Amino acid sequence: MKRERKSRVWMPLDNAALIFPAIRRKNWNNVFRESVTLKEDIDPALLQQAVDELMPRFPSFYLRLRRGVFWYYLEEVSAPPRIQEDYAYPLTFMTRREMGRCCFRVLYFRNRIALEFFHVLSDGGGAMTFLKTLTAHYVSLRYGIKIPSTDGVLDASETPNPGELEDSFQRFAADHAAFCPEAEAYRLPGRRELGRFLHLITGVVPGEDLHALAHGYGCTVTVLLAAIMAECVLTIQTEALPKKRQKPVKITIPVDLRRLFPSRTLRNFALTVNPGVDPRLGSYTLQELCDTFTHQLAAEITPQRMAGRIAENVEPQRNRLLKAVPILLKTPVMRAVYNRRGERLGCLNVSNLGVQKLPEAMAPFVDRMEFIIGVQYSYPNNCSVVTYGGVTLINMIRSTQSPELERRFFSRLVELGVPVSIEANEEAR
Amino acid sequence: MYCVRCGVKLQDGVKACPLCATPVWCPETGEGEPAATYSDRYPIISRQKRLTVMASLTVVLLAAMVACFSIAYNTTGRMGWSFYVIVSTAAFYFIFLLPFWFRDPHPMIFVPVAFLSLCLLLLLISGYTGGRWFLTFALPLTAILAALTIGSIALFRYVKGGTIFITGGLLLLIGGSCMLAEFFEHLTFGTAMFTWSIYAAVVFGLFGTFLILAGIIRPLREYLDRQFFL
Repeated sequence: MKRERKSRVWMPLDNAALIFPAIRRKNWNNVFRESVTLKEDIDPALLQQAVDELMPRFPSFYLRLRRGVFWYYLEEVSAPPRIQEDYAYPLTFMTRREMGRCCFRVLYFRNRIALEFFHVLSDGGGAMTFLKTLTAHYVSLRYGIKIPSTDGVLDASETPNPGELEDSFQRFAADHAAFCPEAEAYRLPGRRELGRFLHLITGVVPGEDLHALAHGYGCTVTVLLAAIMAECVLTIQTEALPKKRQKPVKITIPVDLRRLFPSRTLRNFALTVNPGVDPRLGSYTLQELCDTFTHQLAAEITPQRMAGRIAENVEPQRNRLLKAVPILLKTPVMRAVYNRRGERLGCLNVSNLGVQKLPEAMAPFVDRMEFIIGVQYSYPNNCSVVTYGGVTLINMIRSTQSPELERRFFSRLVELGVPVSIEANEEAR
Repeated sequence: MYCVRCGVKLQDGVKACPLCATPVWCPETGEGEPAATYSDRYPIISRQKRLTVMASLTVVLLAAMVACFSIAYNTTGRMGWSFYVIVSTAAFYFIFLLPFWFRDPHPMIFVPVAFLSLCLLLLLISGYTGGRWFLTFALPLTAILAALTIGSIALFRYVKGGTIFITGGLLLLIGGSCMLAEFFEHLTFGTAMFTWSIYAAVVFGLFGTFLILAGIIRPLREYLDRQFFL
């Protein structure tokens, strides 16, 4: 009997993902990590089974990166990725060869399941859905219970909805681009760590206290954290540079566009905004920083404005002339534009995934959820935040040796009356 | 257990605060190791692939040089044309391939090495052909090029800011170098002095002066910034 050969699923990169293969270097690329810590140790065989069984449900994740003549594209993997034991530090470098096999990895260590994604696949929001569904599937295999498909957990037996696979940037782009030249931001100093070791300092903070503090300043938790971060960066800059050589201090905040537009995509659908202040114009109190950040974000994060910014990004992708430029020429140009603009608009990211919830049946098995973004190529620090079970985890990652920013940031939180517990991944060798 | 300096709570068993490195001493918990949050598995960062490629390229080039020499020697009994192939290949190797042996090649080392190799190549060819153009033409020209290249790399690398002045100054120097080059051409080959180089010098000179002026006159610089930003 002749076996019918199934053609492989493939898809072009979404609009935001186009940049990531172009800007990766021999020692850096844009990878982020999401993990859950369960109450009991992980059973690797069952975890592998869960990873294997979810492949039909998440066709936009089980993909590998390939290069065409004009564009990169994503192609279905031949087999689900093998799970691996976690490394000594998060977000170890993902080589081109590894991306050519699969663009995400599944890691486990004791009672923790971690997923590390190359950013071409998805953003924090989409990846969280995948992680929750994978964890739910693992828990149901391990403990034989049925987990309902609520709170971001998808039904593993369903066929994927076409809306989950769409490039929402194309659908929601405005007719006219919103063009907004921005000033360059200050770049944090620091001597790079030898090798590729990334230092991670996690601040464990009671979510309620943080929320109450933000409420006191009349802003959201994201704005409060960004404002405190800006305050610390301002101090560092003041100590390092005379006033006339100082630059604006701006914090890059990713915005999940699923909250603004009716999209259910699991692929990239986020943009960043860069609220900030110029230290040459005077000094700022924390209250003033919170206020100005709140207003800047409110002015920027509207559906109309975001649609205009999406249009700005989508326009070159739709240009017929540019489409026909071979990838070998496109890549260096994209990289040059990114070097000139992409990373210079913010001092560091403060990426907040918000409050995560899990179905009630599953919550007793889960201890904590973590979200870690890698460092950018040119700026050495980054910060990512997620809240689960009333606990907010503030992960500060850095590629430099000195924890100066972390020290100032967490000490400031303590000063403001928020109790902070610190965990660090010290280098063992 | 809290850090006395930062006020943050620390994990049991840590010896120093991860934020400020203040030593922690707590008589109640005693000596113990904190529970590791990560495994001790390090990724293997191999430079094996690049070294293998470099080694095989070296072997292939060496083999090609030996083959050329033996063919030329067997057919004509002399080195003949194989001399040019061998010295050019060697120069190519030192100029373009040598830096790839190293993980982080420093331009201030490898650019001078490249120019030295180029100089040596020209000296050998000049000597082999009996040409009398090395000392008065090839050497000064290479030296000028080397000085310009190394100087601009050093300035762009180590001087912060002032890009517009550096670029302007370099353009002026390039204009001047064109005239020098034609002067050496005249000295060696007896051609007419300053026929083409004067045009090049004027164009480079105008651009260079314009840039330096733009650096001095702030409104002009800001206008250019607005017009040409990417």
